[in-house]
Amino acid sequence: MNILSQFTARRYSTRGLWSLFLICAFPLHVWTIILYLRDVSWLSERTNLWDAIGVGAYGLLYAFVESLLAFIGVALLGLFLTPKGWTVEKRISFLSLLVLILSIWGMIAQLLFLWKVFPPAWIVELLIRWGRPLLGLYLISLSFVVPSVVLPVYLFLRSDRTTRAIQEFSERLSPLMTAYLFLDLAGLIVVIIRNAAM
Amino acid sequence: MKKQFSRRDFLKLAGALPAGLAASRLSRAFQAGGQNVVIVVFDAFSAYNISLHGYARATTPNIARLAQKAIVYHNHYAGGNFTTPGTASLLTGVLPWTHRAFQPKGKVTDRFVSQNIFSAFPNHYRIAYTHNGWANILLNQFRGHINELIQREKLLLSGFDSIVPSLFREDEDIASVSWVRAMKVREEGYAYSLFLSHLIEDMQDRQIENLKPIYPRGLPTSGADNGFLLETAVDHVMNRLSQIPQPFMGYFHFLPPHDPYNTHRDFADAFRDDGFTPIEKPVDIFAKRVFKNLPAKRREYDEFILYCDREFQRLYDFLESSGLLENTWLILTSDHGELNERGISGHSTDALYEPVVRIPLMIFEPGRTTGVDVHEHTSAIDVLPTLAHLTGQNIPQWVEGTILPPFRADHRTRDIYVLRANNNAQYAPLTVASTTLVRENYKLHYYFGYPIVPQEGLIKLFDVAADPEEMNDLSAFRKGIADDLLRELKEKLAQVDEPYL
Repeated sequence: MNILSQFTARRYSTRGLWSLFLICAFPLHVWTIILYLRDVSWLSERTNLWDAIGVGAYGLLYAFVESLLAFIGVALLGLFLTPKGWTVEKRISFLSLLVLILSIWGMIAQLLFLWKVFPPAWIVELLIRWGRPLLGLYLISLSFVVPSVVLPVYLFLRSDRTTRAIQEFSERLSPLMTAYLFLDLAGLIVVIIRNAAM
Repeated sequence: MKKQFSRRDFLKLAGALPAGLAASRLSRAFQAGGQNVVIVVFDAFSAYNISLHGYARATTPNIARLAQKAIVYHNHYAGGNFTTPGTASLLTGVLPWTHRAFQPKGKVTDRFVSQNIFSAFPNHYRIAYTHNGWANILLNQFRGHINELIQREKLLLSGFDSIVPSLFREDEDIASVSWVRAMKVREEGYAYSLFLSHLIEDMQDRQIENLKPIYPRGLPTSGADNGFLLETAVDHVMNRLSQIPQPFMGYFHFLPPHDPYNTHRDFADAFRDDGFTPIEKPVDIFAKRVFKNLPAKRREYDEFILYCDREFQRLYDFLESSGLLENTWLILTSDHGELNERGISGHSTDALYEPVVRIPLMIFEPGRTTGVDVHEHTSAIDVLPTLAHLTGQNIPQWVEGTILPPFRADHRTRDIYVLRANNNAQYAPLTVASTTLVRENYKLHYYFGYPIVPQEGLIKLFDVAADPEEMNDLSAFRKGIADDLLRELKEKLAQVDEPYL
């Protein structure tokens, strides 16, 4: 109840929440679709086209659920992360920025495996010699991740242009994301048919 | 007349109690007038990798010892080269082109829903379990004739993964494949999900933390689940067998040594640097991508077999010590084999070389103390009629198999067929398929309808007696034999296609 009242007090507008949901759903759907398209050929080769479509349909369903969970998590987090005095637009833009940065890093982490990019041998050797290779790897990762979060946040706090840019990005994303949500709906229909017909 | 039990009397009675209980259980079974049957299937268990059948590595020390009291079939073939056709042939006694369950996660045609090994034992208490999702589809089809179908998830480790099969019970397999692709980021380093995958994997890791040291390569798993322990399944089977009414007919289909080859720590690296060098074989036309680490994959597979070997011994010991073995036909077999050579790893292949189709079959007869080696060619479809014959059931009219030697009087040779047609429509003539015909020493491979094979099909002929590794294709040198076998095979195909023309 306390959290709910905080929601009301800080007035997350419906439009703002919808915009935040779209930002959360966008990278998750894009990534699901890209990786699914990589899988389609071996899936249809190993099973058949209908099953391959089925895998995609479930994938979209899982992406939708993940989008919802991410949205709820970020919206709740926003209550504690953002100052009371911020406008709804600023708050949504700030949270959207964090979601996008995290998503980009999430993708980069997976792309390293996809493209088989590993740390150079000399770095690995150095870390092993140091005696705490895992800690070393974390420190190296943080040296990239921290500036990529701190710098945009600093720019966001210093200038309204960043807020406006994110708002514009979010508005342009809206039609695209609506198309993805239609894909989700199609996926859900496929899942229902498969579970009814099998 | 003694009116009171002395302490001595009590102790004497207590000492006799277990024996008395066992005797009463056995007498109940004999009075019921039927012998029990227990079929143990280890999935993807290739006869090629079993030391008992000549493999250089001692992969089955326990089974080899037990085999001295069993009937061992050295040339036994599966009906197909993956779970669905292989299991369906074992359970229906007919070949895949008859039961039509030859597609991945396929189902048998309607008539076999009531014509299967469970319906053939109407007076037995019928119990079944499998870890394998595709085999489970078949068991679910037969559930009208099974008294106790143990739920698959019951013997898997609980976790988020079990939500998927319980939510999408009718489409468990594809929902699970998608779940793996979405959530198992550590499988390949990437997954559809960007965040949830990490969260779920971390939570699941915590759940199985204490088991990790026992399974250095990861827990045995059927893909989407959080893993399972073979011991748990074997323990459950032992527990149920000691409680259910007799006579019973049990079908227990365990997933190991199916990939991933995540063996128990007792066997991990058991064959590392053992000096074994697999025979070098040419990359096959059906190798979709050439695996470079096949010797390592084979070693891990062999080490996984050691785990199955131990668990089978444990089950055997239980049956023996409980007295059940005295009245039970125990069968050890598989649904198909496994291949780690010719650029191919696993059994998702259109090729039908010996390792992927030749499987173990051992029959432990009640009271038998000596072993028998059978070298005739036999098929998975023979198991049903043989067990029916041995336990006094009517041999169903529909079966295509025959009673196995040494239980049948005549010793005529038979043609053995294997079929893979996973890309063929279920109710249509066979136009894309891999088939083999084994007759006496010869094995003909016939592949047709694939874009990579010639229009007239690809034919290979091997003398599997003289060349069990199938290294020398004789189709050009013994053309007469190849032509005869091919004609025979085509006639058979025309015959089985007839209802679908």
